[in-house]
Amino acid sequence: MVLLWLLLEPAGLRAQVSFQIAPGMAGQFQVPQPPVEVIQAATAAVSFDPPVVRAGETAFYRVTIAAAESAIQWPDPIDAPPELKLGAAAHGQSAQVFGTQYRPATTFLQEIRATAAGHYTISNFTVSVNRQQLLIPAASLDVTDTNAAPLPAARRLHLELSATNIFVGQPVRVRVLLPAAEGKTVDGVRDVQFNGAGFMTDKTAMRMSITSVEVNDQIRPGFIFESAVTPMAAGPLSLSAQGFTAPPFSVGPISITSAGGPITLGGAGQVTPVFLVSDAVALNVRPVPLEKSPAGFTGTIGKFYYDPPRLSTNRMRVGEPVSLKVVFHGDGELTRLVPPATPRARDWQIIADPPPAIGFTLIPQSDETTHTPAIPFSYFDPETAKFVDLTIPPQRVTVVGESLPLQLAAADDELKTAAPLKLSSLAPAPGKAVTSLKPLQLRGWFIGLQLLPVLGFLALWRWDRRRRFLEAHPDLVRRLQARRALRRVKRRWQQAVVARDAASFVRHAADAMRIAVSPHLPADPQALVCADVLAQLDEAGSDRNRRLAQTVRMIFAVTDARFAVTPQAQADLLVLRAEVADVLQQLEEKL
Amino acid sequence: MKPNRLILLASLVALAGLGRAATNDYFAQGIRFSSAGQFPEAAAAFGQAAQARPAAGTLVNLGIAEWQRGRAGAAILAWEQARWINPFEARAQANLKFARPVAQVDEPPLKWFETASTWLPGDAWVWLAGASLWLAVGALVLPGVFRRRRAGWESSLASLGFGIFLVAMTANVGVVTRADLGVVLKKNAPLLLTPTRESEIVSTLAAGESARKLRVRGNYYFIRTALASGWIARDQFGLVDAR
Repeated sequence: MVLLWLLLEPAGLRAQVSFQIAPGMAGQFQVPQPPVEVIQAATAAVSFDPPVVRAGETAFYRVTIAAAESAIQWPDPIDAPPELKLGAAAHGQSAQVFGTQYRPATTFLQEIRATAAGHYTISNFTVSVNRQQLLIPAASLDVTDTNAAPLPAARRLHLELSATNIFVGQPVRVRVLLPAAEGKTVDGVRDVQFNGAGFMTDKTAMRMSITSVEVNDQIRPGFIFESAVTPMAAGPLSLSAQGFTAPPFSVGPISITSAGGPITLGGAGQVTPVFLVSDAVALNVRPVPLEKSPAGFTGTIGKFYYDPPRLSTNRMRVGEPVSLKVVFHGDGELTRLVPPATPRARDWQIIADPPPAIGFTLIPQSDETTHTPAIPFSYFDPETAKFVDLTIPPQRVTVVGESLPLQLAAADDELKTAAPLKLSSLAPAPGKAVTSLKPLQLRGWFIGLQLLPVLGFLALWRWDRRRRFLEAHPDLVRRLQARRALRRVKRRWQQAVVARDAASFVRHAADAMRIAVSPHLPADPQALVCADVLAQLDEAGSDRNRRLAQTVRMIFAVTDARFAVTPQAQADLLVLRAEVADVLQQLEEKL
Repeated sequence: MKPNRLILLASLVALAGLGRAATNDYFAQGIRFSSAGQFPEAAAAFGQAAQARPAAGTLVNLGIAEWQRGRAGAAILAWEQARWINPFEARAQANLKFARPVAQVDEPPLKWFETASTWLPGDAWVWLAGASLWLAVGALVLPGVFRRRRAGWESSLASLGFGIFLVAMTANVGVVTRADLGVVLKKNAPLLLTPTRESEIVSTLAAGESARKLRVRGNYYFIRTALASGWIARDQFGLVDAR
């Protein structure tokens, strides 16, 4: 039973339906907008502005049709007498609120210059408006002689540009002035439009003001509409402006006093929209030398600088985003500043801030990076016609890696909780130090150091070997000792020669001769006599040898005289120093 | 001694003193930075101190600073270097015992003679080998040179010297082979099949993993870990002897 009830229960349920809004209720959600009045029978108003001009002066043929611009098929050009030279043409649409309805109106303006005095009429003609023929009434222009008194000129807009010799992409400040007519209040300008091929208008740079302006050397109150245009093509270009007069305020007329005199502003409803144009201004637009553009050139033209870049923090962890803000200033149009392109860097993820802010979000990917990446940026300075590097420099940062634990719970082999492992405290002192971590075993100087003991042992072996040799050859020892002693005594003998000390001269000469012959005998030198020396000289040889033997005898005779009973007179034997030297040399050679 | 030589000697002593003073300044800076929690700056200061004059305490502190700033590989390398200078450095041993489980890496497998070489500082073994060798040679040779009969104690001294020399030489071999041990510095460091930038990756290594350097080619080391062999960029692998 219960099962049957459960099966039949859904049959009684209603399906869910979406919520429906009633037509009357829907209107409450919409913002009410005044409807556009569609005029079944359009009307046209024609006039010359001004109606009377001097020959050669400019007048405007103005046709205003109460219809939308898109609904009108305007003939181009219009038929006019040959004495009226047609100039530039313009057209524009305005809309006025009448009661609760918008009423569109389109004005066609033809600049006309009369070449000769006379009365000229542009006859009536028909145009198609909303697929219906509308008769445009005839209008006449009176042209006086050039010598006639000056007549008031047609009202027109004045167009001023901050520069006319510019580069492609260089924003130019434009001012559209509408001076107040003589004795009239200041009119505003609306629906301003710039005419000219190859220009882009910056809608964000629009500004309107009322101030004193100088026109034809006269200071008058005037309405100023400011904006910026950017040429997009190179070459000689022309630019003109058009717009409709409009009340500057939505309230009644206001009078204020400025430095240039009193200014009276018209109120709402007092001004009928009049379509006005300006003269065309010629511009010379040059191309930017892009082939020389440096890295970071984004198309920005002007003159710029920036405040020091601000990093939200210069200390961060890996993966932690930081923001880099850069505030630019410049003489040019800042709205046309194209921010630096987002660079690519190995250790950083970089995200550009959404415009119009100029900045980046930087995310470090590694803790090894010490600086933010340089952000290339440059602009073209039209004054110097050069590119200027304005790269945002790297900022010093400290990036800390991912945090690691400082303590670890530990368990011993029996899975009992032991004292936790943790990082030690800092060492209070440097402790044991080495000059290098490279092991001594691999250092060249240490291997060289091991040669020193080897050399020591080698020297010891050589010394022992020589000692044993000399022990086996005592005659060599005697000769060596005699040579050393002979050198020593000869030095003293030479000193005696220099000092002209005859006694020392003889004594040292005799000692030297005894020492020189002592190894041959062998005997103690002091035990040797003249005969022992003569035995080593070859007396029987040449006369020179005999003379040397005689010298030896004389030397020994003097030395032996000290043993005489009575003192002997000593001759000056210093004159024999050459012979003594010869004797000593001969004896030394035998050693 | 001539005055010029005295001046030169005094200048050298003064320069050595200045170098040591600068090292101590870096060490003190590192301590201050560590106390203030500025670990990257502390690591830089301890690093400069260790570069000027490697010391066990400096390397222990360098490892602590590197660990605190999140660089497990650099920390383990610093502590291994501290233990290389002084095998009895307790802080380095404790930190390695703590850090390796955290970094999930193992101790390097040592051969028996390498284990023996850890009983003393590496430099001590080589001095011990040199001294024992020449002591033994002297005990054998000098009695003959000086024409004395070799005494019994001299023979015993020579035997002892040669024994110590053999043990020390074995340990010296261990020191030399241990000098090729190193530590992977970067996380997920690629182990490459060839020593080229475009090489195929064999494996990725954890920071702090130990390996043994086998060959060098250009900017790459050929290393062997416990599980794999391959090439690794030099800047991603630090040798214990900092060559």
